[in-house]
Amino acid sequence: MENPLHPFELHTYVPLSLLGLDISLNKATITMWIVVAVVTGLMMQAGRTRALVPTKLQNVAELLVDFIRSMILDTMGKEGLRFFPLITTLFLFILFCNLLGLVPGSYTVTSQLVVTAVLAISVYVLSILVGIKLHGIKFLQILTPSGTPGWLLPLVIPIEIISQLARPLALAVRLFANMTAGHVILGVLFGLTIAGGMLIGWLPFAFTIALYGLEVGIAFIQAYIFTILTCVYLGDAIHLH
Amino acid sequence: MPQFDTHFFSSLIFWEVVSFAILLWVLYKYALPPILESLEIREQKIRQSIEQAEQNRLAAEQRLKEYEAKLQAAGREAEAIIADAKNKAQRLLEENEQRLRAESERIQAETAQEIDRQRRKALEEIREQTADLAILVAEKVLERSVTSDDHKRLAQEALEAVAATYGNGKTARP
Repeated sequence: MENPLHPFELHTYVPLSLLGLDISLNKATITMWIVVAVVTGLMMQAGRTRALVPTKLQNVAELLVDFIRSMILDTMGKEGLRFFPLITTLFLFILFCNLLGLVPGSYTVTSQLVVTAVLAISVYVLSILVGIKLHGIKFLQILTPSGTPGWLLPLVIPIEIISQLARPLALAVRLFANMTAGHVILGVLFGLTIAGGMLIGWLPFAFTIALYGLEVGIAFIQAYIFTILTCVYLGDAIHLH
Repeated sequence: MPQFDTHFFSSLIFWEVVSFAILLWVLYKYALPPILESLEIREQKIRQSIEQAEQNRLAAEQRLKEYEAKLQAAGREAEAIIADAKNKAQRLLEENEQRLRAESERIQAETAQEIDRQRRKALEEIREQTADLAILVAEKVLERSVTSDDHKRLAQEALEAVAATYGNGKTARP
């Protein structure tokens, strides 16, 4: 039976190096390019028509834009709207990385912990920078929930620091684990299908079909969760609780 | 797990950052503005349409009120005109009645006068003719000439006799 972790293996296609840094091309980097190309193409095409009565693609793009905008307004308020392009890009990048990973033969970029970690840490660092820029030293209030009695502070502050550090970790691991787990299960079921042969193989194969639908849903949900948590963290930085 | 193979970390991080940056730049610069713009335009358009519709509705209501008021005024005016016409007709009728009554009374009076006059005239004529006839008869009866004094006396007597017979005494003269 095939190793279910096999689809996550990477192989260098074109060795490249930049100032001593290894930037060799592999399946994951090429998938990222495809994601950029697909998202750019769709969004440019959606914006090109500018019809008063929207076309189908324009309608979907406007729905998405409206959805992200209301998400920002709910979590960050009006000040958050300047992060709108960033949040949209984040959502579309993660969503299409997840969805493209479901195409047979492609690579799920978001099943690489390092990829999700870069996104999560960047977003978290951004939220801290925004907080410091807006509130200066008062931003440290984020470690003391309002109404905490003074004698509890020695206990509360370490807990808050841990919870703050858990944010990027949870963000990164959640996406990575969901994507990896889904594909592992799919891989296992496909392995069973092949191992089972015609006699019993149809059962795991039927499961893969159902699970595939679930995975499409998870692709959307995980992109949404990552984006809305980003909004919440940025909102915390803007409003200090 | 193959994901923890650090060999690929540098290229993955590099290309992720590059890809994400390119995507962010393209969306921010080229893709999102037209979508946002068309959303904005549609929002404005819808708001304008709703405002316009509201204005139209108010105007229509205003006009309806005006028309209803005009209709009521016209109704009142029509009633007034009908009442006036009725009054006039009534007055005209009464006037005509009065005039006709007066006219007929006048005609009656004139007729009575005329009849009276004609009667008197007839009486006068009869009286004259009777006098002549009396003279004639007297001459025949007497078959003689009489003196002028006799003539006169006889005529007078005959006249009185006639008057006594036909008149009512008023016409008798000495």
